[in-house]
Amino acid sequence: MTLTTGIFRGFLIVTAIATFAFLLAPIAALLLQVPIRDLPGLLRETAVTSALLVSLKTNVIANVIILAVGTPAAYLLALGRFRGRPALLTLIELPLVLPPAVAGIALLTAFGAFGLFGSTLADAGIFLPFTQAAVVLAVTFVAGPYYVRAAVAAFASLDRNQLDAARDLGASEGTVFRRIALPLAADGLRAGWALAFARGIGEFGATLLFAGSVERITETLPLAVYAQLDVNLDSAVAVGILLLAISGGVLLVAKLPPLWSPTRSSTPVGGW
Amino acid sequence: MHLSRYGVRVPPIRLSCALALTLIAVALAPAAASATTIYAASSLSKVVPTIAPGNRTNFAGSDTLAFQIEQGAPADVFLSAAPLYAERLHAKGLCDAPVVFALNTLTFVTPASNPAGITRVQQLDRPGGYRLAVGGKNVPLGIYTRTLLGKLGLGRALQKNTVSQYQKATDVVSTIALGSAAAGFIYTTDWYANATKLLAIPVPTSAQPLIRYEACAVRRDGADTAGAKAVIARLLSLSGRQALFNAHFGLPPKT
Repeated sequence: MTLTTGIFRGFLIVTAIATFAFLLAPIAALLLQVPIRDLPGLLRETAVTSALLVSLKTNVIANVIILAVGTPAAYLLALGRFRGRPALLTLIELPLVLPPAVAGIALLTAFGAFGLFGSTLADAGIFLPFTQAAVVLAVTFVAGPYYVRAAVAAFASLDRNQLDAARDLGASEGTVFRRIALPLAADGLRAGWALAFARGIGEFGATLLFAGSVERITETLPLAVYAQLDVNLDSAVAVGILLLAISGGVLLVAKLPPLWSPTRSSTPVGGW
Repeated sequence: MHLSRYGVRVPPIRLSCALALTLIAVALAPAAASATTIYAASSLSKVVPTIAPGNRTNFAGSDTLAFQIEQGAPADVFLSAAPLYAERLHAKGLCDAPVVFALNTLTFVTPASNPAGITRVQQLDRPGGYRLAVGGKNVPLGIYTRTLLGKLGLGRALQKNTVSQYQKATDVVSTIALGSAAAGFIYTTDWYANATKLLAIPVPTSAQPLIRYEACAVRRDGADTAGAKAVIARLLSLSGRQALFNAHFGLPPKT
């Protein structure tokens, strides 16, 4: 080992410590703000309970849509050979770079009362703003790209020889997707979904502008945090900790399985 | 990896670190020594830059701003849409005695096309009702709205209709202008600024709440107190009052 290696290693360690300290300090401070034994009382307020229910319901629906539609779409984007594929891969990431409030305005200009499809929707008897459907759309729009992006990477890194081998043995395209591609890409898909879920459960800006903040209907946990901030800081912090626990739990579950199935690689296939 | 591989060239990583640090240093340096930081209610976002140009401004709900100042935000002046927040900071020793510099009223509005066909505020008394956008119950706009509804005998209106609540007055304006809400209550000044997109429906003057904007110089270590006092003097000066009047604010008696 030369001196430079030693210095470089030290540099790496310092940056790693700085990264952890900076990212974890605010989270630790949040946890220290309110005594743990006060949490149940603060969370039992009806406003918090109803916001939790709204958040869970809308996010479950949004995530089902993201997984059910996003997975096959990502499969086609990753393995299909057609013109304009690189452009599509870039376009699908656009919602990622939109500031949430702009995403909300974009949804309104498309699906709002005076939006592009507003009158078509109205003719069909559909009015989205101030409804849970609007919350689902906002979450799907903002969080979906995180999953699709990871799923494309997971499918793209599959060994095509394995897929071809299955085809040679007479498997239909549907069977190849279901029995070979999905299981092999599972780790990458799960990691991508965990990120999408965490992003969706914390969604604020697009939801506020597109769906509004109607108690028991569209007021999600992040909106409740904001509304509580002035009345009761402790209660806002408690809701923040609740959100942290939900997202942290999901991230943990998504990472855990490789621990008990040693045949799988512990690094996500997608490698985002 | 051997150092000699790089020859005499500066390693790229060192170069990019130096560049990054320079950029950070430039970005963090005070933009201009003279600039004063103004924390102002979002309903003042159009008029304050014309009265006190060249300063840093942060527009948000008054309650949010008061909270930020209590958490040590680097504000020099606080312009509150309600006496409550300025008085609260003053009571905590976080700002000088507040002064009233502007007045406002509320306006009941629908989108310009008035798709729900609302003609009187009393229609809010019907059960089932309309989609409404109003200020949250803890922000000035929301508190004033509840006072107004109470004086009109419509205290239950917020339960009878589908009500979306916002922490910023500007979010209420855009929600109605974009047609998500059929109606709502906004500051009269905000209606004048968006008169082409919003239809005003008269509200009895007797029901209007007293809306006073208060200014105070923030007390903290390193506060630009002289700059803060200059901004407040501008607000109270003849030209400041003229600009507020042009933006359709009411004016307090001259002190």
